[in-house]
This record gives sequence, C-alpha cells and structure tokens, in this order.
Amino acid sequence: MNIHHQYIRPIAIAGVLFATPMAVFAEAECPAGYPSGPIDFVVAYGAGGGTDAIARMLATQLEENMGWTIPVSNKPGAGGGVMMASLLGEAADGLTVGVGSTNTVTLDPYANEGIDFTWESFDYPGTAMAVTFGLVALADAPYSTLEEFIDFARENGRATVSTSAIAIEIAVQRIAEHYDVNLIPVPGNGAADALQSALGGHVDATIQGSQHIQQIEAGNMKQLSTLVSERVSYAPDTMTTIESGVNVTAGAYVLFVLPKGVDPAIQTCLEGAIAEATASDAYTELMANFNTTPANLGSAGAVEFIQNQAAEYQAIFAARNN
Amino acid sequence: MPDISIVFSGLADAFTLGNLLYILLGVTLGQIVGAIPGLSILMALAIAIPLTYSLDTLTAISFLISINKGGTIGGAVPAILLNTPGTPESAATALDGYPMAKKGQGGKAMKYSLYYSVFGDVSSDIVLITVSLPLAALALKMGPIEIMTLMILAFTVIAGLVGSSLVKGLMSVAFGFLLASVGLDPAMGSARFTFGFIELVDGVPLTAIAVGMLAVSEIFVKISEFVVPTEGEDATDSAQVFDKGDQNVTFAELWANRVVAFRAMVIGTVIGAIPGLGSTTAGFLSYSISKQSAKDPEAFGTGDPRGIAASEAANSAVVGANLIPLLTLGIPGNIAAALLVSAFIIHGVQPGPLLFERQGQLIYGLFGAMLIANVFNLIVGQFGMRFWAMIVSAPAKVVYGGALLLCITGMYFAAGGVFGLVIMLAAAVIGYIMRLTGFSVIAFIVAFVLTPQLERSINQAILITDGDFSELAHHPIAIGLLVASVFAIYFLGPWKKRESLIK
Repeated sequence: MNIHHQYIRPIAIAGVLFATPMAVFAEAECPAGYPSGPIDFVVAYGAGGGTDAIARMLATQLEENMGWTIPVSNKPGAGGGVMMASLLGEAADGLTVGVGSTNTVTLDPYANEGIDFTWESFDYPGTAMAVTFGLVALADAPYSTLEEFIDFARENGRATVSTSAIAIEIAVQRIAEHYDVNLIPVPGNGAADALQSALGGHVDATIQGSQHIQQIEAGNMKQLSTLVSERVSYAPDTMTTIESGVNVTAGAYVLFVLPKGVDPAIQTCLEGAIAEATASDAYTELMANFNTTPANLGSAGAVEFIQNQAAEYQAIFAARNN
Repeated sequence: MPDISIVFSGLADAFTLGNLLYILLGVTLGQIVGAIPGLSILMALAIAIPLTYSLDTLTAISFLISINKGGTIGGAVPAILLNTPGTPESAATALDGYPMAKKGQGGKAMKYSLYYSVFGDVSSDIVLITVSLPLAALALKMGPIEIMTLMILAFTVIAGLVGSSLVKGLMSVAFGFLLASVGLDPAMGSARFTFGFIELVDGVPLTAIAVGMLAVSEIFVKISEFVVPTEGEDATDSAQVFDKGDQNVTFAELWANRVVAFRAMVIGTVIGAIPGLGSTTAGFLSYSISKQSAKDPEAFGTGDPRGIAASEAANSAVVGANLIPLLTLGIPGNIAAALLVSAFIIHGVQPGPLLFERQGQLIYGLFGAMLIANVFNLIVGQFGMRFWAMIVSAPAKVVYGGALLLCITGMYFAAGGVFGLVIMLAAAVIGYIMRLTGFSVIAFIVAFVLTPQLERSINQAILITDGDFSELAHHPIAIGLLVASVFAIYFLGPWKKRESLIK
C-alpha cells in the first residue's frame, strides 16, 4: 500500500485552483472565547461506517491539537439528507459541525422533491477524502476499454451496468447519451449488491467506488474507465472519461458542513484546525487503509467543487423534467 | 488448501488470554443486548466498533463477531419468557417457546433454544471453515432473477404462518406490502409515500416496526390484562413459567428433533451464504417448512420443541454463513457483516478475494475465535438462564413495565431520536388492535421484511431481461425455484391444516 506523504492531492478540477501550501494553516487562529463548550460532530451516516471512522479519527486529532472536546454522534438517513436537514435548525455558533458527503448537497435538492435545503444553505470548512468511481467488468469480458464496451452495447442493442446511487445512474445515462447507445443502469441495494451482480455475470459491468480494487488486484475484474479527471493508482493504464472525450465524471468528497452564518473568524479557525487534522500522520494512515490519500480542498475549494457539480445536476434534472 | 502451518499458527493466535477475555466479554454483552427488547445487536456492534480501534486486529474482529454470536442466543430469551421478541428473527421462536413457558416449562424451552442455536451456529461455522470457496461461487450464481424466484418461493412457503383465517392472514400480508413500499422507489430512485418526512426516505425503520409490533404490542396486551384479568390465567404472576417440574433437556429429547434441526441448519446456512437475505427470512422459512411438512402441523404453536429447533438452528446458522461472501468475495451479506467490513478496513485489512492469501493467519485465527465463542456461548447461556429466571420471578407488573421502559429508551438510541419512537408506538397500537381482532402480526412482519428484496429483484430482473420472459430459459436455478413454489403451494399450503381440522 503506498502512503503518499503529500498533504493534499485533490482529484477534482477544483483542486487545481487550490494550490495554497499546507503550512499556511498549520496553526489555526481562533477568536478568543471559542469554543465556549464541546463541539458536536454530527455524522450523516451510521456508526461503524467509513465516514464515521473518518469523523472519529479527525475528532481525536482536533482534540489533541486544539485541546477541544468533540463528541461524535450519528444522524443517518436519506443518504445524508436527515443530518443536513437537522443542521438547518442548529444555532450558527460553530459548536455543531456536520460530516457528510458533497453528493447530498449537489444532487439531492434537485433529484428529490421536498428537500428543504440547497448547497447554499450551509458553509463548508473543508473536505476529508475524495471518492473516485470506476467502470469495471469481469476480467474475461470481451471488452477492456470504454470504447470497446460501447461497441459491445451497440452490437447487442444494449448493455447493463449495476449501480448503487442516483449520481451513478445519471453518469451511466449521460455516457449512453454521449455515445447514443442503450446502456441500462440496474440499481442495486448499495455498492456490495451492485458488485455482486457484476461478479456473478448477471450484468455487463458495474460502477464502483472502492470495493472493486481488490477484485482488480486479484485478476477477477478489469477497469474499463475511470470516472474522475485523473487516472487512479490501481489502474494506471485505464483512461479517464475525460481522456475518452466524454465530459462525464462522478466524484464526491467527504465534507464538513456548518449551519449558515457562523462568525467568519470561527470559520477560519475551523478551516485551519481541520486542515491540520487531515494532514496528520494518523489520518494519512487511515486513508491508506481506504486505499486513498487525504483530500482536503479547503473552504474555497469545497465551495467551488460543490457549486460546479450542483449546477451540472440542476441542469440535468431541469432538462429531464421538461 | 492453505499451508497447514498457517492454519495452526492462526488457530493458536486465537488462544491468547486477552483474546479469550474479549470473546467472553463479547458473548456476554451480545446475550444481554439481544435479550433486552429495544436494544439491537446492530446498535451494539456499531457502538463497539470505535471502541476496538486500539485493539489488535484479531482481538477486535473476534470481539465483534462474539457480540453477534451472543445476540443470536439472547434474542430468544424474552421471546420465550415474555412473548416479547427483541429481534424480528426470534419472533418465530416465540411461536412455540412462549406456549411452552406458559405450561411452566420456561427453563426447558430456553435450553432447547440454547442448544439448537449453538448447534446451528457451530455447524455453519464448520461449513464456513471447510467449504466456503465453492459455496461462495455457488452463491454468486444467485443473480437478481434467481433471488426474485427465491422470494416468490419464500412467500409461498410462509403461507403456513397466516394464522387461523386465510383471508385475515392475506390482509396482514397486504398491509406488510403496503408499509414496506414507503421510501425510495427502487425503480425510479424517487421518494414514495413519505408525506414530506425526510426520515421516511429510507423506508419505515424495521427495528421500530418489529419491536413495536412484536414486543410493545404484547406488553400492551399484558398490561391490559392487569386491568381486566382474563379467566383462568393469572397475568400478574410471570414466575409460573418455571413451575412445572424438571426443566432439563436430555440428549434423547434433542436427538428426537434431529431432522428438523438439521434441515433448519441447512436452510440457515444457504440463506446466510446468499448476500442480502438474512436471519429473519431463514428463521421463518425454516419454521414454516417444518410446520407444513409435519404430520401434525396443529401441534406447532402449542409449545412444540420442533418449533424452537426450526427457528433457532436456522437463524443462528446465518451468522457463520454470512461470513462466506464476506471473507471470500468481500461482499457483506447483511448490515451486521457490513459493519464488520468497516472494522476490517479500519484495522488495515481489506476484505476481498485476496484475503485468505494475504491474511491467512488472521482468518484462521478468526475461525479459532469463532469456535471458542460457540463454547462460551453455551457456558454463558447456561449461567444466563438462572439470571433471566431471577428477573422474570419479579412481579409481572415490574417485568412488563421495565420491558416497556427498555423498549422506549432503546428505540430512542437505536433510531436516533423521537421519530423512531413514534413509529414504534404507532406500530404497537396497530399490533395491539391486530392481535385483538385476530390478524396475524407474524404474517405482517414477514411480508414487511421480504417485500423490499422482492421488489428490488423484480425491478432488476425486468431491466436485465428487458422484460422478456423467455430469458428465464437461461436461468435453470430460477426455473427450479418456480417449480418448487408450485409444489410448496400444493403440498405446504394451508389446505392441509383444514383437512386435519375437518377430521
């Protein structure tokens, strides 16, 4: 497993703009009197999961670095939506920090009715990890690249791709539209279910975030295409969708969220403190266990990423509903 | 076959003092949490995972698996003694366990439950250790089309659970369908019947429904009996469950139900090895098949040890078998297994096809720990029985009042606040009315548990086959399951019971 001791390697487009060196944040400057009590970390997913582990690890780092007290609780439901909705009612005193996913604010407000928030309802002091997606198929499939897969779909009249989230279904549909072929997303009950359908040969391919990596290493599967703007270390020869000329990506970040209107001085303090925690050795080691490296876009970078992705999804759903 | 030295050094790793203590602690914790209605094993696992960050990998995973194993024993306790199953899978145990306890043989019922549970657990562990690779390959053949037909078979088999009236039973099933359809529509990905509650997007929470319908509604029934005592039954005295003489179970008595127990173990292992199903499905399927295929189905539900064997051996066998897809393919079979995946990853171990190759010693250490946990389960279970016997010897008003309090506080934690609590209490009121009017709560729960999987696999099957039924010809397993469904309706359907009643 490679552990890169680089502090930030954001994978998204937004990352290029965020080239500020880490040292700037190494000492977080906090206003006097903050925090006036414990800072609650509210995780948008259940205890025992990946985001939960990230939040708990970073909370421990912040407690060590800053001397703060940070209890971690979980508010799972609706793909992170329950936690986001609950933040709307929290005081903007910087004592409640949500830990969720960018997808919940970029996609959900447009995909579902009755969502009370948009991405503009919150502030974002930083991100913690990037999730990258790949299109993968069984190793003995008669196609090895996105282009060959598209040809296969064209010859057969259709090809099925198991998926685990709306964002991924949309990515499949957009790739299909780009090439004008019939790709059918088959929604599974989570990533494991989608992977199982592909491993059993019940679908022609699947889009996965991380569970397929060891399948590739074991020689059971191959990656046809990488759905973010840079190639990934476990499939260095696989082209990205951008390289293939398809402007479709599906990336997400583990995201810190604040209720709107927190004192800018406190926001700067939190941004700095979180950046220091995501750069720690202990956190880098946890990321290595997840087969990745820390990815903190910082506040400005997070907003930029979210704004761009939200605009994309808004346009897609507006076009669908017409 | 892995290197024999790795097998032995792995097994030896399991026998450190620290490991043994954590396994003992895990099993005990699991039995207690499982026995308390309202607290769920999933919740215990989720809370325990962050506590294991500082332990070494084998100890951490052994501890978590021990909690899970302990839970399969503990869940049956309140089901048998109070008829308030703390988990949906132990509801099938209550069907015969509680009538047996009411006859004054509560200790006997608990022993049957403990022994058959450990039997199911040990057997499926042995299957996991010896033939997990071929079984996992077989489980992969179960795609959406096969799962869909398996669900159809499950619905035909559980016909034996509809209760005395077929019409009322079917109405309960329909209600289960309806309530299970709340949440994200698997075909469109849009929210359905959520009435603006974002909490309902993931569906009505199963734990809240199960604890409300099965446990709290029964507590309501009991509390109402304190007010208006029913004739010939002294509801205020729950100590009578240990009244009638010998509470021991002999080997001959256990051996007498060997066919039922073995079949239950096979059903549990197969269901456990297929990702996405789970112990509730296994327990009810096994119970229903045993009942409907028995010469005397009317004996079931009156305190028949075969009922306990069918339920407990099956739902416990799921725990070991669930690790088959997890350890061989990296695919978690249910939520408990998914929590184990995150524990593995946090400790730097990637579950997947290379796990045996890269972490052979750890896996055999884990197998060793699982076998030790089974032994501890048996020992702790024996001691636990005396403890539970003491608890229920308290006045019934205290026992049921305390149980209600635990359900409420437990649900508040498990469901993350008041919303789950409201759902639980609403389910309890509906369950109470259903009990009073003769609608089967069990039929409702089973339909509620099976429906999401049925709907999802129908949707997937339609997408994969492009709606073309002739595609079925390429799926021999699915055809076999459909044929089995027809047989199940004919041979296991409720008509048999009618005939025997007419006679």
